[in-house]
Parts: sequence; structure tokens; C-alpha cells
Amino acid sequence: MVQAEPPGRPAPGKTPPRPSLPVPDVTEEGEGVTESMGRRSVELAGFYHGKLETVPSVPIRSLADFALWYTPGIAAVSRAIEAAPDRSFDLTGRWNTIAIVTDGSRVLGLGNVGPEASLPVMEGKALLFRYLGGVNAVPIPLRIDSPAELIETVERIAPGFGGINLEDIASPKCFEVLETLQARLPIPVWHDDQLGTAASTVAGLLNGLELTGRTIGQIRTVLLGAGAANLVTARLLVALGHDPHAISLVDQRGILNAERDDMDELMLRNPWKYRLALQTDGGGRSGALADALAGADVLLAASRPDPHAISADAIRSMADAPIVFALANPVPEIWPEVARRAGAAVVATGRSDFPNQVNNSLIFPGVFRGILDARARSINDEIVLAAARELAARAHDRGLTAEHLLPTMEELEVFPHVAAAVATAAVDRGVARVTRSRAEFLAIAKERMARPARLIEAIGRSGLIAPMPPASPGRSLSKP
Amino acid sequence: MTKEIPPVPAPMTATDAPNMPIHLRAARPQDVPALVSLLLRLKRLNEEFDPLLKVRPDAEAQATALLTQDLADPKALVLAAEGVGADRDRVVGLVRAHLRERLFYTPENEGVILDIYLLPLYRRRGVGEYLLRETVQALKARGAGIVTAEFPAHNEIATRFYGKRGFRAVTLVQAKSL
Repeated sequence: MVQAEPPGRPAPGKTPPRPSLPVPDVTEEGEGVTESMGRRSVELAGFYHGKLETVPSVPIRSLADFALWYTPGIAAVSRAIEAAPDRSFDLTGRWNTIAIVTDGSRVLGLGNVGPEASLPVMEGKALLFRYLGGVNAVPIPLRIDSPAELIETVERIAPGFGGINLEDIASPKCFEVLETLQARLPIPVWHDDQLGTAASTVAGLLNGLELTGRTIGQIRTVLLGAGAANLVTARLLVALGHDPHAISLVDQRGILNAERDDMDELMLRNPWKYRLALQTDGGGRSGALADALAGADVLLAASRPDPHAISADAIRSMADAPIVFALANPVPEIWPEVARRAGAAVVATGRSDFPNQVNNSLIFPGVFRGILDARARSINDEIVLAAARELAARAHDRGLTAEHLLPTMEELEVFPHVAAAVATAAVDRGVARVTRSRAEFLAIAKERMARPARLIEAIGRSGLIAPMPPASPGRSLSKP
Repeated sequence: MTKEIPPVPAPMTATDAPNMPIHLRAARPQDVPALVSLLLRLKRLNEEFDPLLKVRPDAEAQATALLTQDLADPKALVLAAEGVGADRDRVVGLVRAHLRERLFYTPENEGVILDIYLLPLYRRRGVGEYLLRETVQALKARGAGIVTAEFPAHNEIATRFYGKRGFRAVTLVQAKSL
């Protein structure tokens, strides 16, 4: 749903100019832009042949040094880890290395493209992990269908990693895989489409509530779309004190309540959705989206790209000054300007060209920096909420307005704060292998997150990576 | 020769178990429409387990006829689970069982649990267990020396539910489309 966008790096503290609120004709112009970006991406992919390479992190003065980095010296390091496996976090790169695992079953908006076709996307994600989080991420696309085999495979590769990032796995398979792995592995397991998106949504909502003078215990919320992100958002809202019976979860068939006639099918095929249906019971309502929205304070839409999925009248039927998040990408469920004109006090989307972008990339770099710095054994909803609260607090500190609900991707100084909040939450929950103060975690995160930019700059100066070739329509590039 | 099955006792007294969100009683003719809708939900659930259990378009009429017939049949047991509190008088679950004679084998009187269904909100908290216990008692009171349950082979939830309570597979029914 919400896709990461590589940010530029403007001077800290300088907010780039914001566009006004257009109602763009995305069906034509947007597709054209996407198509030309796609051509350019293919061109560059063929020029650079991949986006990552392995670079040593130790000096190599001569081949003689390999007696230390490799055999015979390294045998003693092996012995030390054999005696105490957690020393692998000290004596190897495990502390800062994660696996990006996918079965290619739901890649971007493309659907099930298979593991090979997911590789360029996973490489891109690894680049973001490196650039924004200072994390070494290894793409691991797997040719696997069954959740059980996927779970088993990740269990078997876990010894080499400090964390696991599940990526682009279809719902509801992703729930079973995440839950099981979180229970079994001694390292944190994350699924961005569930946790990252939900955490940034919750962060935006917390600030939206403050702006409109609401508290979470008193609101009625409608969630449109019952996929990976919204099912977790609903769970987090309840954890924050939202009355479950004031939440209406709406999917293509209407309001999800305990007596809908597909409940038994859900019990078998999607127990996570089933449980939420029981817990919320439609927020006391049944029927269509319009029935859910009447009088509601908040709408969190994470469904499918269709600018007419929510009408202006539906927004007008909500409570005064409602909060509207229309997060489908690339086209929101209602254009922000339309929602505003219909009375919405706060509007957020998944896009960077409108104010208030709800973006999982605001969360995952800080989360991984934090759990790796604390060498956490696991991650749970409380830690996820710590990340969401910190993100909200950062925007708050810079002054909340209806157009500045969340930090933007340009506000890179936010990430180390999210990392420190996450690491501290891991310590507080008793799941950290490393204990430090919050200030220490912040300093560590700042340093580790600043390193990639310095590295990339140094490599750029060295001429070892060819500068980006100019776009050349009509002919393919080849690397010199 | 068919052995006489003891006459059906007086309509079952409503039994409330402490802390149960339901109240179990013998079904009445006026319950039939509600029972039909529950029975159809159960049959559609069965459809999820096996394509050979595809529900017929006329299933509703069949369910109505079947339940009406069962209510008049001394060898049939139909129980209605009502909600409690605000849901009192609302049928939220059903049990349908038959007393059958087993040819060749002993014990000769078998209570067959054909359908058990509860609306999702009334599940867990031991409600299913309570329903089963009451049903088994009612069948035993009518002379059953053995109790069986029929459900789709791939319904693992039911397999686990009955397995935990001492049931095991005795007869297998295998099927093949023609």
C-alpha cells in the first residue's frame, strides 16, 4: 500500500516548499510519469547490474591478514561463539545485519510476480535500510508457497541475522508467518506492510486527535479495507485504549460484524480478520460504508486506488471536523481537496505530493536501528507503539498544523529519535541484550545512521561507482 | 429386529450453566426459521472444507422440511440455544441429533450428533463443550449406549474438539464424484 520513496537530503531543518492542493488527473498524467520512470529504472538497472555489493569492514593490508580474518585465527572466534552463541552479536556483523525475506506473493501493486521478479524491489529496500537506517540488509527471495515452509526456512536462516524483515508477502499468509516467527525466533521479526504502515498511521492519527481536540477513548473510527495494514492498525488502536465496539471495519462486502454470513469462512481462511470482527462486532453497526461513516470521527482508508471510493457526502455525514486518512497508492480513496471541502479537518494520504504523507518509511529505519542497537530478542506491539508515539512527538515538537501532522521523509533527524525510543522500549520490555540510557541510544543511532551518507559520499568521490548516465531514450545503455 | 427405542421424555427442561452466554432448551416449531438459518450457515461452513459438500440451491427449503419433520420425530433431538440478557429469546445455536439402531454391533442404540452450530459471538468460553455435554446427556437419557458425531473429514476444528473429549474415528465414509 504505502511504498517507500527515496528521499533527497536537503539541509536539516529546511522544509521544502509544499505544493498547493491540486486534484490531479492521475489516470493520464500520473501513469505517464510512472511509465517514464519505469523506463529509466530498467535502463539504470541494466547499467549498474544490481544496487548492492559486499564491501569489507576491516583493513586488508596484505594476504597475510587473512590468517586473522580467516583461517587459522578465525577458529578461535568460532570457538568463542560456540561457547556462547549470543557472542555472534559481538564478534561478527550479525548485530547490524538483517534478512529481507519475501516469497514474491504480493510485490508492490503488482501481485504475485514470483521470487526472481521481487529481487530488484528487495534490493531497493536493502538500499533504503542502508541509507536511512545504517543497516546491512540481505535480500532473500524464496521460491516457496506454503506458510509452513516459509516459516521453517526463515527459522533455519535466522542464526546469521540480527533481525528479519518480511517483505511483500500476501495477506492473510503474512499474519501467520509473522506471528509464528515472532514466537519462535530469538531475534525481532517485522513485516512492514503490517507494522510499518500501521505504526505511521497511528502516529498521524494521534496528532490528528490532538489537533481536533479528541481523545482516543471517545472516538468512533471507521477502517475501510481489511488488509494487512488496517487489521494491525485496528489492533494498535485497541491497545491504545480505543473502545473496540466503536470501531467499524469495512471491506468490499460492507461492515464486518460477528453475524455476517462469511464469518465461518473467515474463521478458516483469515482468523485475524475473524477475531477483529468478533472484537469490534461492526462497532455496533451493520450495512455499507455509509452506515459506518455516519457520525464517525475518524476514517482510516487503506483499501484500493479509486478516488471515488469515498464520496464527499460520506465525509459530510461524519461528525464535525472529522479526520480522514485516504492511504491507497498511487491514488487515494478520495482526493484531499474534496475531503477538505466536505469538512474534513485533517486529511492524510500515502503520497509525497500532498501534505501529511503516511509512509512506512518514516518508521522502519528507526525501528530497525533501535532493535539492532538494543540487540533485541523480539518486537511486540508496545515497541511498535513506542515508535509511533515518538514519530508523533517529533511532528508535535515542530508545531502541529492540519498540513504538518507527521514528519516528512526530508526530516531525517527524526529517525535516530525513533531508534532511541524503540531501543529504550526494548530495554523496558526486558527483551534487549544491550542496556543503555535513552541518550546513549540516541547518540549511537545518530552516529550509525550518519555513516551511510559519509560512505556513499566517499565512494562517490573515489570514482569507483560510475556517475548516473543521462537518460537516453531509444537506445539501451551498457556499462563501460 | 429393531429394538424398541424408549419413548422420548418430556420436553427437556431449560438448563442454564453458570457463566454460559446461552440457555439451552428443546426446540419448538416457532424456532424453525431461526434454526434453518443456523443450519444453512453450518452447511456453508462444510462447503469450505470440501468441494463435494457443495450446498444445493434448494437447501433452505430442505432444511425447513427436515427440521419440521425432526420436531415431530421421537427419534430426533433438536435443541435451541438462546442468548441471555439482551439476547434472550433469540436463537443463537442449534443441536440436531438422531437416535439410531446399530445393526450387528453393540451397544445397539446410537445417538448421532448430526449438526452443532453456534453463532460466532457465542463460541469459546466453553460453550461448545457445554452444548456437547448436554446433548450427550440427553441422548443417553433416551437410551443411547454410544454417541457418534458426523462432520466433514477435513474439519480439523471438529476433529480436535471431539478428539479432546474422547471421540475417535470409527467408520470412514469416502467419496468420489461420478
